[in-house]
Amino acid sequence: MAKQLISLQVNGDTYEVAVEPHWTLLETVRDELRLTGSKEGCGTGDCGACTMMVGGRLITSCLMLAPEAEGSAVLTIEGLSRDGDLHPIQQAFIDSGGVQCGFCTPGMIMAAKALLDRNPSPTLAQVREGLEGNLCRCTGYTKIYEAVLAAAQRTS
Amino acid sequence: MEQETVTRQGYRTVGKPVPRIDGVGKVTGRTLYTDDMVLPRMLHAKVLGSLHAHARISSIDATAARNHPGVEAVVTAAELPPHKKDPSNRRQVIFAEGEVLFCGQPVAAVLAGDPHVAEEALALISVEYEELPAVLDPLAAMKEDSPLVRSPLGEVDRSEERGHVTVNVEQEEAKGKASNTSGQISFTRGDVEAGFGEADRVVEGSWRSAMVHQSYIELHSTIADYDVAGELSVWTSTQGPFQIRDALCQALDLPQTKVRVTPMEVGGGFGGKIYLTELMVAALAMIVRRPVKYIMSRKEDLQAATPSPQVVVQLKAGMKGDGTLTAIQARLIYDCGAFPGAPMLPGCLLLGGYYRCANLGIQGYEVMTNKVSVGALRAPGTYNATFAIESAIEMLAAELGLDPLEARLKNVVEEGDPLPSGQPYPRIGARQCLEAIGDSAIWKERSESRKRPHTGVGLALGGWLGGLQPSTATVQLNGDGTISVIVGAADITGTNTSFAQIAAEELNVPLSMVNAATGDTKTAPYAGISAGSKTTFIVGRAVKAAAEQAREQILAIAANPLEAAPEELEMADGVVRVKGNEEKSLTFARIGTMSTAFAARYAPVMGTGTVAASKQAPGFTVQTAEVEVDPETGIVTVLRYAIAQDVGFAINPLSVAGQMQGGASQGLGVALSEEMQYDEKGRLLNPNLLDYRLPTTQDLPPIEAIIVEVPSEDGPYGARIVGEPSIVAGPAAVANAVADAIGTRVHEVPITPERVLRALGKW
Amino acid sequence: MRTVQYFAPESMQEAVDLLQQQGAGTRPLAGGTDLVVQMKEGSTRFPLLSSLVSLRRIQELRGVEFSEADGLRIGAGTTMAELAESATLRARFPAIVEGAGVVGSIQTMNMATVGGNLCNAAPSADTAPALLVYEADAIIVGPSGQRWLPLEKVFFAPGKTALSPYELLFELRALAPPAGTGSSYLRHTPRKRMDIAVVGVAALLTLGTGNLIQTARIALGAVAPMPIRAPQAEALLQGNMATEGLFRRAAAAAAEEAQPISDIRGSADFRRHLVRVMTERCLQVAARRARARDILWSD
Repeated sequence: MAKQLISLQVNGDTYEVAVEPHWTLLETVRDELRLTGSKEGCGTGDCGACTMMVGGRLITSCLMLAPEAEGSAVLTIEGLSRDGDLHPIQQAFIDSGGVQCGFCTPGMIMAAKALLDRNPSPTLAQVREGLEGNLCRCTGYTKIYEAVLAAAQRTS
Repeated sequence: MEQETVTRQGYRTVGKPVPRIDGVGKVTGRTLYTDDMVLPRMLHAKVLGSLHAHARISSIDATAARNHPGVEAVVTAAELPPHKKDPSNRRQVIFAEGEVLFCGQPVAAVLAGDPHVAEEALALISVEYEELPAVLDPLAAMKEDSPLVRSPLGEVDRSEERGHVTVNVEQEEAKGKASNTSGQISFTRGDVEAGFGEADRVVEGSWRSAMVHQSYIELHSTIADYDVAGELSVWTSTQGPFQIRDALCQALDLPQTKVRVTPMEVGGGFGGKIYLTELMVAALAMIVRRPVKYIMSRKEDLQAATPSPQVVVQLKAGMKGDGTLTAIQARLIYDCGAFPGAPMLPGCLLLGGYYRCANLGIQGYEVMTNKVSVGALRAPGTYNATFAIESAIEMLAAELGLDPLEARLKNVVEEGDPLPSGQPYPRIGARQCLEAIGDSAIWKERSESRKRPHTGVGLALGGWLGGLQPSTATVQLNGDGTISVIVGAADITGTNTSFAQIAAEELNVPLSMVNAATGDTKTAPYAGISAGSKTTFIVGRAVKAAAEQAREQILAIAANPLEAAPEELEMADGVVRVKGNEEKSLTFARIGTMSTAFAARYAPVMGTGTVAASKQAPGFTVQTAEVEVDPETGIVTVLRYAIAQDVGFAINPLSVAGQMQGGASQGLGVALSEEMQYDEKGRLLNPNLLDYRLPTTQDLPPIEAIIVEVPSEDGPYGARIVGEPSIVAGPAAVANAVADAIGTRVHEVPITPERVLRALGKW
Repeated sequence: MRTVQYFAPESMQEAVDLLQQQGAGTRPLAGGTDLVVQMKEGSTRFPLLSSLVSLRRIQELRGVEFSEADGLRIGAGTTMAELAESATLRARFPAIVEGAGVVGSIQTMNMATVGGNLCNAAPSADTAPALLVYEADAIIVGPSGQRWLPLEKVFFAPGKTALSPYELLFELRALAPPAGTGSSYLRHTPRKRMDIAVVGVAALLTLGTGNLIQTARIALGAVAPMPIRAPQAEALLQGNMATEGLFRRAAAAAAEEAQPISDIRGSADFRRHLVRVMTERCLQVAARRARARDILWSD
């Protein structure tokens, strides 16, 4: 089947990409734009490793077909530290030991960003709620909770 | 949320919490994992799995798939290049030949430039099966009249198991009449019947733990390429690059000089990513002479990787009124799936190895079934056995009116006490862990907790013996004065950060001057698999020795220009000085140049450390849970959780606490929600992360990590094994807390709401 | 996943035309959280899937509107997050907020739509029981125009609805609940989130003076081939005083009305037990809210 040309705005840049309509946003961003920070951990929206923000909303990009993202601003982990400076959430993840294998980390940080965008000083319970769609198998989440709470402190 | 229990005077870098040196790449998404890599002309492989748990393959017709536009090749067992095929070795059975032994077992692969095309073509391969009886339950499989799981095996290859736990015990392989029991082991001490006779209370029961999956978030991922010179390159997510190299060379009859295995960043392993799909991908690359990438789907990974076994433990234990344990008798049945290789030995050893007990009778059985074959998951085989013995101890204490912590302290093993094998323990810290949990807020406040409705507190002890495997490391001084540590061990837990700390400590430089990296199997010094919790314990010793050697070499170079003997010199912050004479000094950068520049007079500084450890440094843990049970819905909520673990010496307390919390969370998953569920045909019913339930943030409270430090004799700075013990005690601790909350005991993990309600007799 | 043609119409009319033109093998795509998974799994439900008609760009499909006179209107393309965040729904239709607020995770809620949740026709759909106790009507748009169907009649088997392949769910309508009405949705899942209801129960009570139950409605999810009402339990409640004892009897009746099966998420016995426990709890919450009368739901 013929590819169709779509226009994606990712991290502030506009890309014209030829896609097959059944390609997911995740595949398109990883394989065509070669922004490989977002990961595929399940392909069924259950792990959160592919989490991006589309139109300011947190989504699992493995379940969004690429053409569905046309016209919305897409933010991926690569868009968080544009000029070489780490975003405070990224720094907090490093400092608090919230990073182990790193595979869930990009999606987890995106979820943390969406949480802090709408609630700059969350409680522990709100942090746990904000990260509910992102699985981590390494940390037991404790140091991730600490990282998000520390990032909230730093940014507020 | 952790507390340290030891002062760390005298050290500059080790013993201090340090962020991981690979953190920036990971938080920015720049770190490359296998699936992030693309090679020129690379093809994607998709694999067709068996639809049946046990069947004969009568025919395979791949014509339509081969003719599908975009398909480059379809490969079945018939098209594979020559390779060694030991039917007992799962990895060497690349594609099923004649007989399929479990649902999802690879039968064929399709190669195409577009992964979607490859996947589409899988549906065009037609395989005709003749179904055979499938045996799924290990107890049924052990019966005399059970159908056979598979055609009888000859010798059994157990090489991988040995990397996880190194104990000098041989297990008996099945002999005589063909049966599904593929291995047996037995330990006896004293007279069990007499022991029960001495007891004031005897408890007996059967405990079952479900098959669970390691569930690393990164799926099994491998790329292979085979060039015209006959060199094989493999990029893969693995804990054991040298293990893979050796296995590939053995299977493909290649010299070890011709195979380069590059260990890519591992997105979680937990014992499940040693060696699985690499031979298949290498064989496919050899056929097409192009790079081939294979990324398992989550469904395939759940159906056909190497999960942790289902185990049934039948146990009887006796105790005197004063708390003395008098006898333990147990049968442990490990369901290994369709290939031998269940981690039965460590479970048997530790079931009888936590407490001094004069009378033991422990028998282990490894039983095959038509399910996926199992592998290691963090302290493999041990949380299952611990669930049984630590539930039984609790029951005995309760029946005798003893405090559960005191009952354990009365019997717990110490240095010199024998394992069931007779081997004595080296210095260990099981008692100290019990004491540390005794001091924890959860345990101290338990009488308050228990006043709240349906709330209970429980604890359990666990441990792991650890593996041994020789390793080496190098430490080099660069031209600019910085230090490079190079190892062959895959970094799955932050070990490279700890290695950099060790080198920085020995050379007395700030950590920022040191980098540590893992090389590939053509460039790196040899290391064993990063499994068995031995990486820091063993490779860390090699790094320390290499750094000490580099230090001597630096001093030897500096001695000449500084006109002093090496022993008159000292080094700090990258400067070598004559003691007592601040004026006379040389920087590391100068020494680096003097030993690397054109026409330099001195040979480069490169320290080498090589270690063959003979003595383990077992790690013990005690964990306590405060839970609330809804007696009408059966839901168990973990309110608070703490883990105490003896780590010997925490080289990096930040990552040590992270390992403890991570392992504890996996124990909680085993305890409460994780279970691979099969139907009566042996098909996995929950091959996704929706119905295979890993704990989410909403399920896990913060976990308190209490670091206990009883130095080991041989580990660097007294460090001992760290990674694995943390999973071991969780299921038992939660089961004991649930029993405390509702007065009824659940004998099967995961303790699901339905099992809680059944235990309460709700219908 | 197999390749497909993709259309993104901007009006309902255009969408219905496309469904007709493309014919068999065409599916409407809403949030994608069910459909894309089914496509990836090569579901046998639509082996010939050849075209997708995306509903994302149809503005008239989105939004929540409410007035006392006209009642509630929910566009089928409204996301779970939008429902859960709606102040109107929070105040007047709490069970709907509770149903939408537990679907999957935050990510799922930002993608999944109420129309998708209903038309996927899973017996466990979390928004269905809540909408059933408000006796919502489904407005369906097709080649021959609009038709109204009580939501209860939309479901007829797992994965099957009363909609023809060329029809789309356009919106849901419900009357404004009278004063003294309270509702609640509770579900049982082993994990707190990221799970599918083992049992879901919605209850609605309208209490008159003297604690008299004027209206009682109970709907059950995941215990029958489709979300169902529990009429016998409702009849027990109707016209009687709202007491704990009555709730217990009604809950037992609801458990009898459930027709659960055993599957990997739970046995039939377990589900029946849960229907009883959760119906009772749900009635208690609904009654508490009903008694609060003009106080808006805030817990």
